[in-house]
Parts: sequence; structure tokens; C-alpha cells
Amino acid sequence: MNAQADNPKILLVDDEAAITENLAPFLTRAGFTVSVANDGVIALELISSYQPDLLVLDVLMPRLDGRAVLRRLRQENNTVPIILLTQVGESVERAMALEEGADDYLNKPFDPHELVARIRAVLRRAQPGVQPLTTAQQLVSGPLMLDRTSQRVYLNQKELTLTPKATMLLAYLMTHPDELMTRDRLLDAVWGWDYPAGTRTVDTRIAELRRAIGDDSTEPRFIETVPGQGYRFVASVTSHTESNR
Amino acid sequence: MKRHWLFTLIPAVVGAIIVLLVNLGVGIPWTRVEGSINPRLTIAIAATMSTWGFTVGIVLSTILITVAQLWSWRIRTQTKLEDQKSQASAERREFLQRLDHELKNPLTALRAGLANFSSIDSPPSGSQIKILNSIEEQAIRLSRLTADLRKISELENRPLDQYPLDIGQLLEEVFELIQDQPVARQRKLNLNIPQAPRPLPRLMGDWDLLILAFYNLLDNALKFTKPNDAIDLRAREEGEFVSVEIADTGPGIQAEDLPHLWEALYRGDAGRNVAGSGLGLALVKAIVERHEGSIDLDSHPGQGTSVTVRLPIRDD
Repeated sequence: MNAQADNPKILLVDDEAAITENLAPFLTRAGFTVSVANDGVIALELISSYQPDLLVLDVLMPRLDGRAVLRRLRQENNTVPIILLTQVGESVERAMALEEGADDYLNKPFDPHELVARIRAVLRRAQPGVQPLTTAQQLVSGPLMLDRTSQRVYLNQKELTLTPKATMLLAYLMTHPDELMTRDRLLDAVWGWDYPAGTRTVDTRIAELRRAIGDDSTEPRFIETVPGQGYRFVASVTSHTESNR
Repeated sequence: MKRHWLFTLIPAVVGAIIVLLVNLGVGIPWTRVEGSINPRLTIAIAATMSTWGFTVGIVLSTILITVAQLWSWRIRTQTKLEDQKSQASAERREFLQRLDHELKNPLTALRAGLANFSSIDSPPSGSQIKILNSIEEQAIRLSRLTADLRKISELENRPLDQYPLDIGQLLEEVFELIQDQPVARQRKLNLNIPQAPRPLPRLMGDWDLLILAFYNLLDNALKFTKPNDAIDLRAREEGEFVSVEIADTGPGIQAEDLPHLWEALYRGDAGRNVAGSGLGLALVKAIVERHEGSIDLDSHPGQGTSVTVRLPIRDD
């Protein structure tokens, strides 16, 4: 391994040797320094000694599974960025993963290039010591506020009427600001499935969101259209944990 | 179930009624000789009638008992068959879930391994790249299959996003979506949604899932028809349901394929060369059933196929 000292350090946690043996060299070539753990217990031990910049964490593992590792780290106020590799794949399960404080997740089997893109995006977003947006109770962007616990959205302190899908979509966009979101990725994250015409479904909900938050698609304050590619939440987002009122 | 043994009492009851009638002195007109009752004749006739009554009763009882037995046997077999069927489908579902699970890790490793080729120091040659691309294509195809399997198992369990919806508007949207496919231009597509005497009533449903279901059905019709075939999408109110029909003038489906069409991964002979995962109709069925609706398929080889989805009218 010709890893450079300033390469981001990734801890890859998966019990399946066939995966780590193939994925670790790939991530190394993509410019990361990679260390491997075969289960959650080893991962927890390595985190304190290895001090990784990011964890790629499988969910289903013997001894201590990925979600338990995630919970334990967050309880200890460890904000190391985590990308979960889910395979149960239930959309409820995935939403839960984000609520428990994962920075992102990928469904197995995934495109390894997609994993690299996600790692880079999460690393870019993460600031040491600052609570990641994905674990924030409230997401605030200028006059727009989304309370994730109650699933309510406010604009200038006035509550908006949104369908649950539109709220989930807004939450996903706000937790990934400045990141290009393809329609396929949004479909997968919010709807849990994709199909040929599904991308139109995304457009419909984006239109609903824009109407509700008063965003003009030609001069967007919040959601920008990236022609031929997808959408991007362009405004800056901050997290609040204290309850509102 | 044991009630039908009561039928054995019929002969006794018939006999008893006749004897009673005779005893009550109602008498039988032809037993009167010169105005007075002839006791001998009365008894003889009463006995004959009782015998007849008894015989008829026995025959009746036998028939009734046999019918009752056959009926209860039929119901028992039916429930048994239904039990077996639902158990089999639960087992199949569980098997598919396990299969999905077991496919995911090797596929992840396979795709990571393939990705390594594109970034190693001695890149593969032209002909090797072709082989690798073909392997990767198949790995992606298998990945898509596992994703589709996941969708189905998810559909059966996850809560629905149900809202009152305008089914006419939904079908118009699906109709518009399907026309984005280039092949749709080579078919005669018709949409018929009643406006008079009143528009279709509202339904409770998950908009996105129902779009997915009707899209899949129309997509199937497109796949299995040829240029200039007609595809009709029509809806109407039918009692407590809205019935949506997708009919085509395609080649139709062979009778032996009909019972299996809704099974995951089933492909009839006609479907072998058609692109798709073999999960489309299973997905449609799961969506319709989650909406407490029903789905029927009627096909005449050489003439065409029509699929009817019935969704309950609810607006609460």
C-alpha cells in the first residue's frame, strides 16, 4: 500500500472476507488509507487506536452488529462519520438508520464507485466536533425549518402542509446540502424503489415542495435543478438540537 | 356437521303424522262404508300409507345425508387447499427473502472485484475489457433482481402512504407516462375515463404505488404487443369498486401459463425473450392486494388479453 499520510483514513467493517478483500484495495486506489475490521467488537477497539476519519459499516455482523456499533458511538458523543451498508433494505429500517445517526447508507449490492462518491461527499460535509446534520433534530436553512421528530416543516414560523413523502424528500435534501442528488438516488432513499418512470414521481414531489416553500425553479433559493442530472439543495443548512419553544 | 343425522328422523316423523291424522278421526273418505267408518279398512290403509311414508322417508334421509356429507367434505377440502396455498405462498416468500439475502454479499464482492480491474496498475487489454464488461453487466442484472425481490417483500410489510386520491387523474398521469416510451408510438393507445353522469369516486390509496402498478401493467401490454396493436386503458364505477381495465389486441396468453402469471420469477414461453426481471406482475399483485383490491386476467390466444383491477371505493 502506498498510502500517503494525509489520505483520509477509512475503517471498513464487514464480516464477509470476500467483500473486504476486494473493497479495501479498491478504496486504497481511490485515495484512502484503509483498515479492516471483521465485526463490531473489533471495530470499536480499532476506532480508539486507529482514529479513522470515516467508518464504512456493515449492518449484519456476528457478535456486535453495525447498528449497535452506531448507537454506541453516538451515545458516547463520537461523531465520526459513518456510512452504513444495509442489506435488510427495508425503507423503514433505512430511515431508522439515519435517525440513529448514520451519515449515509448504501444498499448491498452497490456500485463500488458510488461508495467512493458517498465517502467523499460525507467527508466534505463532516466537520470535526460538529454534530452531523443527519443526527440533528431540527434542520434550519434561513426561514425554513424542518423538525425531524415531529416531521413538521415551518416557513417563517408558519407550518406548511406537506405529504409525508415530500417531508421525507426535503429532510433528505437538507441533510445532504450542496450534494448533487440524482433522481434515482432520491427514489432509492425516499421511496425505497425505482422504476423507469419513477423519476417523474420525484419531479412531482419536488414541484410540490417548491410550491409549498415558495421556491422559484428559475431562481431557486433552496432547491436547484441540475439539468439532465437531478437536484441540489443549495442553501446552507445548520442543525439545532434544542427544542423549539 | 352432526346436524344432518337429524334427517334420519324423517321417516319416523312422516309415519307418526299419518298415524296421528288417522287417529284424530280426520279419516280418509274412501274408508267410509255407507256413512260409517270401516275400522279394518282404516287401519289397513293407515298401515299402507305409513309404510309408504316410511319408505319415502328412508329414501329422502339417504339422499339428504349423502348430499350433506358431500357438501361438508367439499368445504373441508377447499379450506385445506386454501391453507396449503397460503402456506406455500408464505414459504415461497420466505425463500425469496433468504435467496435475496444470500445473493447480496457475493454480488457486492463480485462488483468490488470487477471495479478493481479498472484501477489496477496493468489495465486489461481490449478483448479482456469486453469480457469484463459482460461479467459486470450480468452482475448488475443480478443486483437489479435482488433489488426487485426486496421491493416485493417490502411491499408486503411496510405501511402504505394512503390518501384520498382521484383515480381518474392518476390513470391520466400513468397514460401520459407510458407515452414517453418510444415503442408507445407504434401502438394505438386509448384512454377512457368516465366523466358523465359523474366522475369516478375517490379512493384511498398510495399514489406512487398505484402509479407503479398501472404503469407495469401498461408496460407489459406494450412489451407483448406488436406495432399497430391497440391498448385500451379504461375505468368505470362498479358497485363498491372502481374497475380499471387494461386490454390489448396482442397475441394473448396460453391457458397453461395463466395460473402462474402472478408468481414471482415465472415466465411463460412467450415471455422468455422479453426484457424484465419476471417480477412485474407479482409486484402489481402485491400492490393491489395491499389496497384490498383484486386483479383478474382474461386472455384469448390470438385475440388479446385484458387485465382488470378492482379497487374498493373509500374516502375516509
